[in-house]
Amino acid sequence: MRHRFGQSDRITVPFRMLSHRFSMIAMLLVSCALLLFGRAEAYVFDDARNKTLEIMTPVMDWMSSPSALFRSWLENFDAYFDVYEKNRILREENSRLMAWKDRALQLEQVAIRYQDLLDVQLEPEITYISGRVVSDSGGPFVHTLIINAGRKQGVAEGQAVVDRRGFIGRVVGTGKAASRILLASDLNSRVPVLVEPSNDRAVMTGDNTSRPNLEFLSDNAEIKAGDRVVTSGAGGMLPPGLPVGITVQTNEGKFRVQPFSEQARVSYVRVLRYDFPGEIAPETEEEAAEEEEALSVDASPPAPAAPQTEPIALPPEPQTPVLPESPPRVATEEPIQVMPLGEPSETVGDDDG
Amino acid sequence: MDRSLTRSFSALYQLSIPFAVALFCVMFTMLPWGLSSGVVIAPSFALMAVYYWGLYRPDLMPPIAVFLVGLFQDLMSGGPLGLWSLVYLAVYGVVVSQRLFFIGKAFLAIWIGFGVILSPLSVLAQAFLSFILYPIAARIFAAVQKQFLNQP
Repeated sequence: MRHRFGQSDRITVPFRMLSHRFSMIAMLLVSCALLLFGRAEAYVFDDARNKTLEIMTPVMDWMSSPSALFRSWLENFDAYFDVYEKNRILREENSRLMAWKDRALQLEQVAIRYQDLLDVQLEPEITYISGRVVSDSGGPFVHTLIINAGRKQGVAEGQAVVDRRGFIGRVVGTGKAASRILLASDLNSRVPVLVEPSNDRAVMTGDNTSRPNLEFLSDNAEIKAGDRVVTSGAGGMLPPGLPVGITVQTNEGKFRVQPFSEQARVSYVRVLRYDFPGEIAPETEEEAAEEEEALSVDASPPAPAAPQTEPIALPPEPQTPVLPESPPRVATEEPIQVMPLGEPSETVGDDDG
Repeated sequence: MDRSLTRSFSALYQLSIPFAVALFCVMFTMLPWGLSSGVVIAPSFALMAVYYWGLYRPDLMPPIAVFLVGLFQDLMSGGPLGLWSLVYLAVYGVVVSQRLFFIGKAFLAIWIGFGVILSPLSVLAQAFLSFILYPIAARIFAAVQKQFLNQP
């Protein structure tokens, strides 16, 4: 196959080359300027990015349907070869998991009892928004995904995103019906994590490889290869306890995280909607203020109403001696409940009442 | 008057074809192919488009078009703006400056030329896949050129 060059080239080449060179230099300068400016003021282009996201996602959504088909073929093709082996492994795993299930059910009961006893502040419920991946960044510089769920469905920036196996990243941009996810492997990704079972805290930093680094480990951290890594929830960005991956040790002795998730291979993801304890706090403060008001008036009718609004919580009643109702209420409960909770002064107060 | 209007329309049309092809290439690359686990290695079809048009018809693929294609990819991927523009402009600049060398050469030489240009990026698996797939892409670009630009 031979290609011929344009006929008109011979006549206008000198002029063309000059103008080409000029606009070439201009465009190079503009690119560099954009890079530098974007580095300094990263948020400036966010609107442009989100707008592009919004406009292009329907197109990508449409275009990606055949690629999803291609992908399912690929997966089926893969699966065909190891169907017997897979079956055996799954059966073994299943029998192992059944044992674990029994154990988990037992432990769940125990945990519920303890939580009741200790009056643990339970994590707020997490709800999901599912979305299909319509685009990945397709390049070596940035690791992002675009999914076809956005603000309309309740996705907001900062929310954690998981696939069926574990944490994959978080939302960094949203459009009306589209959002962009920064994968944990991206150069800009920083995720506070917890390494189990030693409970060492670390920050998982992406470096554009498939295995993110574990950084800021304390010197006396007791981590082995194969330890489980979960999100720690530190910093209030992500819900705690999401499975992330397992640790692997590199030749230099540093630790990296082998993610559970399929990363770029993922086709459906779930965005987690999660209300942070910090965001609920103002309400409880208000309640506390109301209670205080009610007590300062020292009217007996509102006083018993206040404890009823709370489940079994004991600590917010430092005024127990003032209330005639509280001693009987405490008396109906088991004595252990008071012990781990109330500060010494309160328990003393109860005894006095 | 009428004729010059027609001519400028025709020029616009001619300019739009390679640009549209390159934009489509960006989107095509960014489809979730799922070929990779973790490290994204989808071949960069837009790079091939920039190479192809830079070689055969740089007059239809001016630097500003190259810049816009890169900008589009940056906006889509959410990365730093100007990064892909810079990569594409660099490739384009090298190709255009070496055009005279490639004139009249066999396709194999042009293919190898593409490999040479990719070599600074060769640490990336993406570059390798792009190299492998270039002949297919070039054939498609040639078909587009023949179909829409009345060029052999």
